[in-house]
Amino acid sequence: MQVNTLHFKRTAVANLANPQLQRALQRLQERFVGTRAAVMTEIPDFEALRSVAAAIRQHTLERLDHYLEQFEREVTASGGHVHWAEDAAAAQRLVVAIARRHGVRTVVKSKSMVTEECAINEALEAAGLEVTETDLGEYILQLAHEPPSHIVAPVVHKNKEEVADLFARHHQRPRQQGIAELCREAREVLRPKFLAADMGISGANFLIAESGSALIVTNEGNGRLATTLPRVHLAITGIEKVVPSLDEVSILLRLLPRSATGQSITNYVSVMTGPRRAGDLDGPEHFHVILVDNGRSRLLGSELEPMLRCIRCGACMNHCPVYQNIGGHAYGWVYPGPMGSVLTPIFVGLAEARDLPNASTLCGACAEVCPVKIPLPDLLRDLRVRQVARHLRPWPERVALRLWTWCATHPRLYAFLAAVGARVLKRLGGTRGLIHRLPFAHGWTAGRDFPAPAGRTFRELYRARKAK
Amino acid sequence: MRVGLFVTCLVDLLRPRVGFDALRLLEATGAEVVVPETQTCCGQPGYNSGDLAAARTLAQKLLGEFRGCDYIVVPSGSCAAMLRVHYPRLFVGCPESAAFEQLAAQTYELTDFLVSVAHLQTMPGNFAGSVTYHDSCSGLRELHIKTQPRALLARMPGITLREMREPETCCGFGGTFAVKFGDISARLSDNKCTQAADSGAQAIVGGDLGCLLNIEGRLRRRGDHRTRVLHIAEILAGDAEDGSCK
Amino acid sequence: MSDAREAILARIRATRTAAPAARPSCEAPLPVVGDDLVAAFSERARKLSSDVFGPVAAAQAGAQIAGYLRDRQLPAQAVCWPTLAALDWSSAGIASEARVARATDLVGITGCFCAIAETGTLMLLSGPDTPASVSLLPETHVALLPVTRIVARMEDAWALLRKEHGELPRAVHFISGPSRTADIEQTVTLGAHGPYRVLIVLTNG
Repeated sequence: MQVNTLHFKRTAVANLANPQLQRALQRLQERFVGTRAAVMTEIPDFEALRSVAAAIRQHTLERLDHYLEQFEREVTASGGHVHWAEDAAAAQRLVVAIARRHGVRTVVKSKSMVTEECAINEALEAAGLEVTETDLGEYILQLAHEPPSHIVAPVVHKNKEEVADLFARHHQRPRQQGIAELCREAREVLRPKFLAADMGISGANFLIAESGSALIVTNEGNGRLATTLPRVHLAITGIEKVVPSLDEVSILLRLLPRSATGQSITNYVSVMTGPRRAGDLDGPEHFHVILVDNGRSRLLGSELEPMLRCIRCGACMNHCPVYQNIGGHAYGWVYPGPMGSVLTPIFVGLAEARDLPNASTLCGACAEVCPVKIPLPDLLRDLRVRQVARHLRPWPERVALRLWTWCATHPRLYAFLAAVGARVLKRLGGTRGLIHRLPFAHGWTAGRDFPAPAGRTFRELYRARKAK
Repeated sequence: MRVGLFVTCLVDLLRPRVGFDALRLLEATGAEVVVPETQTCCGQPGYNSGDLAAARTLAQKLLGEFRGCDYIVVPSGSCAAMLRVHYPRLFVGCPESAAFEQLAAQTYELTDFLVSVAHLQTMPGNFAGSVTYHDSCSGLRELHIKTQPRALLARMPGITLREMREPETCCGFGGTFAVKFGDISARLSDNKCTQAADSGAQAIVGGDLGCLLNIEGRLRRRGDHRTRVLHIAEILAGDAEDGSCK
Repeated sequence: MSDAREAILARIRATRTAAPAARPSCEAPLPVVGDDLVAAFSERARKLSSDVFGPVAAAQAGAQIAGYLRDRQLPAQAVCWPTLAALDWSSAGIASEARVARATDLVGITGCFCAIAETGTLMLLSGPDTPASVSLLPETHVALLPVTRIVARMEDAWALLRKEHGELPRAVHFISGPSRTADIEQTVTLGAHGPYRVLIVLTNG
């Protein structure tokens, strides 16, 4: 997917002023935050369950090579094929090669963020294949030529009128009004695609090492159709998605749907192991898995390693006050919100995604809800540390910080400058005690006043009091 | 017990009466209170900007200044969290590590100290009216400050607490975030102001001056010059008749 | 291709310095299910918009299904799993064919391997006599579920699978109601790409 991270501020500001988007974000908050809170009460001790999930994910990362090798052995034993892609370009080459090998001309896709990350659709289309997204949200985005704005609810930023317009334009049918009618229309338009497709591409929420299985969670049924009807099934996902066994997966499946959409379980959970067996009447004849690295292995052993525990639930962005107000497109790439602010700089570069680690108050709402206890604010701060080390912060900022630290280690000078500052600020506040324009702080005073201080510092007043 | 008061740089510069009200509260507990003279900043601005060296410099300075105290009390959740949670991380594996672990264990946010250590029952302040409490993020999530300020407010007979719908949602301050991403920050503070207004409270109260300046700044720009914005110390120990408590 | 494999594994191994700790326990606090698995299953399945009939005698299932189809003005014609071919559908007035589902089938009748009370979920295994398409392509999915096949949790379902089959089939499908989407304006709509409705007939014996 194209990278637009340099436009973060501009897009964020535009989004703040977009009433339609603001209403959509309000709906997202009402639905995902409220229902998650309600469904979490079904778990007797949510904190304990989080700890177990975090331990499972951490353990897997600590033995990642072992579990990946086990997974590969099991897939191969069941008649499937495992491929390894070091980066996005390699993943693209592999997908096209697999498609060519099997004479594939048409592809149906179930939602996969990794395929967005690696721009797989573009690569397939460039190779002359027809690719159709089948998840309703992703299908709408495909028609609109837009990127997703949320990893679980990709088209949250659109309202039904916009969807109705899109369908009317592309389907050559009379314009539908209601949501149920629009869903029905999508079903009717996409059903023939499923039936005719040569290859189905899915992601995998988890890869199960002990059985060589790919597991996907969906609600629509498109995942089942895409992985049952076409003669080739290709699952593509990150190397960090492996879990040891079905028992671990059962634990994680209690947290993923609850954290993501406030459901106790997603409508469909599909566990796929290899191609069709002797005697099977349906199912794909060929089963391929592509394991994508694309920078993930470089995180292992670093302070950013906890990010690899992520199970892509989206709870962090649902609870992030910044995301709740600016939406996902501002983040400029596949992964928005807190997890995106960590992953995007890692995948596309710290300089390219300069604003993302800094566009956070480090409030910690994300870390509080993360089902696998990723310390997101700490990771954002770690990225800021890396930016400083690589001289990626603007020089006025670095100078101001150095100056501040220097003054703060020279108490007498500090006391003098603070006393001067307090008087200047009081003056600027005028009779009402409010400053309307602060030099060097236009970002504050553009939208807020600054309450002026009393004019004396605590230090001087305390000293005066003690002298009495 | 010997309590060292760390007033914080924002209080020193922008609202000294919070420092004096904190002092009054600590004296009311019967403790011997000292205010080390050379204190300046806890190092949070540098820390959150990614300059760990700057943070370590100021941490070491503070460690020296507060030596000899049994407790260090801070009228700010974020500064207290800096000492209690983050200083030890900055010195893992260093010779001063043990000293910073001890400092961390001795550091308390003001309301937490008053409730959990000093068990202060009677508040010196005389504020009366309805208040709504904003839970500042660091205090809430890093130090679990939630029930303590409310317990103290409940000990003041003239106060009615009116919770806003989302007291725990960030107000948008975030230190330099408020300037660097001013538009987003202003929107978050605006949301907080709307929530506070909906609660019908006469005063917005919180434990972190940065948050309060941010909220008050937006409130006044919105044209609200009536709702007061006060630090919890001012409520608990301030003289409501004092004109400077505007 | 194997160069990529070696490079990736080498990078991973290079970072694994400490001896890895033992596999953590999967002991975790779980939602309460209760002792009455039939009641728990029925309640949760209904909450997820499945229709649940019974428990009835197995011989009555056909009549129950016929009534359900009639009430909704659906044709009494179905594709069914070969494992259910021996049941007396014609007495119930249902024209049933045991084969893989086609695009034109409107009703699909399956059994299931077992069901999970914790979430009101059916567990279906693919196989020569249990084609996956029968529960997927038609707009109406009917599942026969003997009450003795209801287990408490997903962990119990896996244990049962291991005991009775040893290994996983090509596909295990957990189904928790009609297909749905909330992609448009976060409004939940039943009936997306999979079935619009799911009828579960609980049977005794």
